[in-house]
Amino acid sequence: MRDFTLKDKRLSTISKLILLGLWVILSEIIDNEVIFPTLGSTLKSLIEIVKTPDFISIIASSLLRSLIGFLISLFLAVLTGILSSISKFFYNVMIPILNFLGSVPTMAIIILALIWLNNEIVPMFVGFIMIFPILYETVQKGILNVDKKILEICKLYKVRRITLIKDIYIPSIFINLSMVFTSALSTNLKMVIAGEALSQPKFAIGSNLQIEKMYLNTAGVFAWIIIILLISKLLSYIMKAAIDFTKVDKWM
Amino acid sequence: MKYRVLNISKSYEELKVLDNISIDFPKDKTTCILGPSGCGKSTLLNIIAGILDPDSGDVVGFKDESISFVFQEDRLIPWKNVRDNLSFVLEGKMDKRDIERAIDDYLKSVNLQDYKYYYPSNLSGGMKQRISILRAFIYPSSILLMDEPFKSLDINNKHTVMEFFKKLKVMEKRTCILVTHDVDEAIELSDRIIILSDKPSNVKMVMDNYYVHNKNKEDKAHIKNQIERELME
Repeated sequence: MRDFTLKDKRLSTISKLILLGLWVILSEIIDNEVIFPTLGSTLKSLIEIVKTPDFISIIASSLLRSLIGFLISLFLAVLTGILSSISKFFYNVMIPILNFLGSVPTMAIIILALIWLNNEIVPMFVGFIMIFPILYETVQKGILNVDKKILEICKLYKVRRITLIKDIYIPSIFINLSMVFTSALSTNLKMVIAGEALSQPKFAIGSNLQIEKMYLNTAGVFAWIIIILLISKLLSYIMKAAIDFTKVDKWM
Repeated sequence: MKYRVLNISKSYEELKVLDNISIDFPKDKTTCILGPSGCGKSTLLNIIAGILDPDSGDVVGFKDESISFVFQEDRLIPWKNVRDNLSFVLEGKMDKRDIERAIDDYLKSVNLQDYKYYYPSNLSGGMKQRISILRAFIYPSSILLMDEPFKSLDINNKHTVMEFFKKLKVMEKRTCILVTHDVDEAIELSDRIIILSDKPSNVKMVMDNYYVHNKNKEDKAHIKNQIERELME
């Protein structure tokens, strides 16, 4: 709640203008397009990128990879989160897997993925190793943190198991998930793009970032960053609209 | 006698709360448990409901019965509106049409029909407690346990809910156990009054409340005096 009360659109706009101003000043001072491109050359690159015939395919492919990866992570997180909440055996099986994902450097796993997997799969896998643990723990928290007093009520009133799952556990999982959904989606997108930069699939934002870097076209890199920021913003608006539409938080 | 607790003792670590308590609860009557704050009245009620296990002693007759419980706090499900909080405990026990009819009738009886689709977060503390009381009343139970149910209600709402409880007692036969520290409430609602001593609690006095049947004001004053004397000792 505090986050919402602290939010001020005017101050946020001022901050954005200051950043733009700093960009203009720094690019003037550095005066080197390869190290720090100007606002003008970045906008020019941006227009050129948008005009390329493959632009839509590139954006669509990256978004599709990100979406598929996210849905797989979500499905597996819900499945394993539920299983580990009801089975002590499964809970303990998941501990070393999560510890592995948490402590082994992400780059080491990505390198292995590059050796083992198809270059279309690697970006999704990179997103998965980053967001699966977050979603898994959120699902588990949703189940284990159900208010014990509500469970006592259910036991007393002999609420059927199916009603208990449908009306208590599932809403609790989704309420918890809805709180991390937007940040998990945006982290996943960033990781998928990083994976694309390494695995170089044909149509991909990450592959294009890598190409711009190879040609030392820093303005092109900046332009792609702007595109990624816009996509991220768009995704968060879509998520907000989806949450408003489903009214998942109407009771709050 | 169908329902009883026998030689119940319960301690929380070193602190002994209940000490060898035995009480009979007459079927279809309301028994009120009175006692000083913190004497273990709620603990006893939780043991009867099967939420807590006693250290020793037996709970007889309650295990296989359907029980509804009004807790001190409302315990409503925050993501369900008033209607769904009530229907939630009835699913599978009545058909859908009866559930809807019962919810409408019960809400009307405590003047909350306009709040049917409100979420708990939009209701006042007193309203939430009234819904929690309704949930216990509407559930087709043979035993109704109530732990200081009217504590958070203002005088008018308390009167409405108490009157509804009296009506309910006439309409439906239920064995009720009411825990309270309010002597007037006990005299107004119960057939039998049990007074517990301070910790470690045991039964200090059992009295039949003849006022509830004859409504004689002198009797009421006499019973009240007797209870207050007993509580002061």
